[in-house]
Amino acid sequence: MRMFRFLIPVVATLALAVQAAAATPLEDGAEKFLSSLADDAIQSLTGPEKAREDRVKEFRRLFQDRFAVQFIGQWTLGRSWRQASETERKEYLVLFENLMIATYIDRFQNYAGEALKIVKAVADDDNRVTVHTDITRPNAADTKPVRVLWRVGKNETSYKVLDVVVEGASMSYTLQQEFGSIVRQTGSVAGLLEELRKKTAALEAAAKTN
Amino acid sequence: MKNRTCDGWAALGRGLAAAGAVASVLMLGACASLPPAGDKAAEAEYAEINDPLEPANRTIFAVNRALDDAVLKPVARAYRDGVPRWVRARIDDALDNLRAPIVFLNDVLQGEGTRALTTLTRFVVNSTAGLGGLNDIAADLGLEKHREDFGQTLAVWGFGEGPYLMLPLFGPSNPRDAIGRAVDFLVDPFNRWAVNSNREEAAISRAAVAGVHLRAEILDVTDDLEKTSLDFYAAVRSLYRQRRADDIGNGKSGARLSSGAETYPEWPRGDGSNEVSGKP
Repeated sequence: MRMFRFLIPVVATLALAVQAAAATPLEDGAEKFLSSLADDAIQSLTGPEKAREDRVKEFRRLFQDRFAVQFIGQWTLGRSWRQASETERKEYLVLFENLMIATYIDRFQNYAGEALKIVKAVADDDNRVTVHTDITRPNAADTKPVRVLWRVGKNETSYKVLDVVVEGASMSYTLQQEFGSIVRQTGSVAGLLEELRKKTAALEAAAKTN
Repeated sequence: MKNRTCDGWAALGRGLAAAGAVASVLMLGACASLPPAGDKAAEAEYAEINDPLEPANRTIFAVNRALDDAVLKPVARAYRDGVPRWVRARIDDALDNLRAPIVFLNDVLQGEGTRALTTLTRFVVNSTAGLGGLNDIAADLGLEKHREDFGQTLAVWGFGEGPYLMLPLFGPSNPRDAIGRAVDFLVDPFNRWAVNSNREEAAISRAAVAGVHLRAEILDVTDDLEKTSLDFYAAVRSLYRQRRADDIGNGKSGARLSSGAETYPEWPRGDGSNEVSGKP
């Protein structure tokens, strides 16, 4: 079978490629992190008997623990971060966290029936991983699952979610564009803070009447 | 009005608007303010937003939303809540199958041989074994559907998107995608058959069903977004752009995040804090 000897380097390369495709510890860790996040979210947030205040408390704890809140907040403020004063930055981060809680707390409740399946984890560099997931929606006519990517960063102690990308749309980048638009319209970071205060108050009020 | 200027696209928009009295009223003085000259960051931001007709677009968006609230949303809600999921899934499959010829043509025009073959096989299998397209049997066989349109084909051919455009009734778009939409509609075999055999109502009914069906599918998402966003217009604009970029890359480009360090800052190493290093 001399004539097939030319295949040896090809096979060797393929073997290497397969080896390279096997998950690294960083990727394995990110997958585990995400599946535990999904489990914890469902467990602590979707009990029907749970009072809303308790869900809010648990969600805040989960959000602070598993998401890079300050990192995301700073990123979503975009170039205004540099213009903001120290007091404004501090208040912004609090308001940003409140907005995220108010935005997603009820979404979790509504989407409780959706199943998340981890497809794969791919390292972006030596401390960031993208975890690919498919989420099936129980009430949609289209049975094709929604493609959701989780950008996860690892530091010395733990993994944190840096961004969530739904069908190619980054949630953080979208918020950054939205906040930027408000800053341009109101002319200042203070204007954005005022809008954030109004929005979170409105969402809280709406949740209480429901 | 010194700081308000329109670029060439805006001039084109005005030219087109002259065709309709209502539209031209909307266009009057309706250009986004230019960034202060010399402010590099502001200029980069203006280019990234790429919405020189923003005031006119916002007006059209407001009209679209009013129509949506008054007509489309209630119909879509009744359809979603009144029609069982199984039936909606059959309608979903049928609409996809009717669209398959256009998807196939655009696969071919983009030189995507494998995807073209997938679409063709899907069309044959689903039109026959799938009982006239009512069942997506092909997906069960591992031939997943995908979307293509002429706007994406133009993008693959190297045409830029042009400025953001809010179309009356049709919603978020840009010159490239608006042209693509018109071409797809005119080339579509079903629509051609309908028009050639004096059955325009068939093409119109299909468009109406597709519109209500699509609206119903995204109802939860848009309701949430309307409720929680600070600037719904800006959120829709950004989401539209990102989704289109993802469609054009066939979902493989990952996210735009990996491409631009400016929008995806470095994750700090080692020190265990959440502090962002460098500029945001």
